[in-house]
Amino acid sequence: VSRSGGTGALAQWVLLELQGEVEPRQSGDLAGSLLGDLHYTCEGVPVLIVGHHILYGKVVQLEKPFAVLVKQGGASQPSPTAPQGHYTVTALIKTKLLFKTRPKPIITHVPKKV
Amino acid sequence: AAMRSRAEVDATLQTAKLNPAELLPAVHCLSFGPQAGGGECCLLQLEPGLCAELEAGRSLVIRGEKDEHAVLCSKDKTYDMKIADTSNMLLFVPGCKTPEELKADQGSCSIIHSQIAGFSKNYWELRRCRPKLKKLRKLLMEDPYEGPDSRKDQASTFSKYTTEDLLNLIQASEEEILHQLQVIDACKIEGYWRILDFDYEMKLLNHVTQLIDSESWPLSKVPLCACLEELGSLEPREMIEHILLSYGRKYVDDGEVFFEMHEDKICRAVAQMLLQNAVKFNLSEFEEVWQQSVPEGMTTRLDQLQGLALVDKSSRPETIFLLKVEDLPEDNQERFNSLFGIREKWTEVDITPYIQDLCAEKQTVGALLTKYARSSMLNGVKVYNSRRPIS
Repeated sequence: VSRSGGTGALAQWVLLELQGEVEPRQSGDLAGSLLGDLHYTCEGVPVLIVGHHILYGKVVQLEKPFAVLVKQGGASQPSPTAPQGHYTVTALIKTKLLFKTRPKPIITHVPKKV
Repeated sequence: AAMRSRAEVDATLQTAKLNPAELLPAVHCLSFGPQAGGGECCLLQLEPGLCAELEAGRSLVIRGEKDEHAVLCSKDKTYDMKIADTSNMLLFVPGCKTPEELKADQGSCSIIHSQIAGFSKNYWELRRCRPKLKKLRKLLMEDPYEGPDSRKDQASTFSKYTTEDLLNLIQASEEEILHQLQVIDACKIEGYWRILDFDYEMKLLNHVTQLIDSESWPLSKVPLCACLEELGSLEPREMIEHILLSYGRKYVDDGEVFFEMHEDKICRAVAQMLLQNAVKFNLSEFEEVWQQSVPEGMTTRLDQLQGLALVDKSSRPETIFLLKVEDLPEDNQERFNSLFGIREKWTEVDITPYIQDLCAEKQTVGALLTKYARSSMLNGVKVYNSRRPIS
């Protein structure tokens, strides 16, 4: 597991933690499809609008940061039973946005065109 | 999919009945990146210190063959890896800013298009563990070095291992491996790490102790140069120096190199030499022969044999037999099973040398005994036996 090459600092990413599954709206690939809009209130509360739901969350500084590993060679996927192989650390994650509250549905009386 | 516009975002806010005045001006429009569903990214939860190591540019290595549980190694520590499942979905987003970052950045644009790089329902957890070093000895014992005259070496078809080879095969950090090589008195011969065959090792030791005796050198001040000169015709110089390093402490006095010989280690080696030839010995006979066999000026004591031999005080007469801790299983439960198979009840004094190496970073022998054994009283003495019936 080596650091990604280069002398620059490791990228810092953010983790989004959501309840439930992530499914593509249309049949077909997830890639490219929209998840939603992420806002923050002036007090710093994250607000995520996903489809017809509003999710309120909180910013959490992780006690134990994560490293994001990307497997080199791409041959087989890293699985719990066979994690061996060469990995590159692509980024570190020190912050997560935790959305645990039950999503509030958006009740619309307005036609869906947007 | 086309990128969302600010107008679309604002329309959504309106539909959602959220007041833009209560929100920061910037919005992240999140979409799934091209690789997102590929599963090539995974998350590793970092123990304290590892994050700093990565940021400092150091590497971490995942080691383990197909039949081993994978471990993660930093430069000097080893960790077990375990999958932790969450019931939640974890999405990792590059370039996503926190509220503080947005507020600090005055000129932030009002839309940030962020691509989710990947997602997962689980991540790898780490737990510091003992380095798995038993394999190191096993590998080096495949082909112990018997000396330059041994015909075996020239025709050898056994694998020999360089430092690089060992790093790839042993589930431990580099520092832990190098330290263990020192502990087991391995030496590098022609670029390969070797362990000496015990008989050859004793032959070398004998040369040295006989020389010390004939020259009447004090055991605490054995001169390197003179040893190399006197013994150089019998054995390779590197081997003479190696045996001095293994059984003595090197120091410099007035520009010259000397060795302070380890009395305990030498006595222990002599004991091993005597004990390995039979299943067990009459204790008092053994103690007599042992004292006579060690170099002049050295005193033998039974406590020098901890982790090497075990005294059976229940037999009449009392006996002693070879039991080397390094021959016992590495796994905690297996080690205890093995020990209780050898003897049903152990005192803490007797068992400690055989479980000491199992202690994790802040663990005590007492804690191990509480976990893996059951205690009882026998003739007024506290003894430990197995928690489960031994088949």
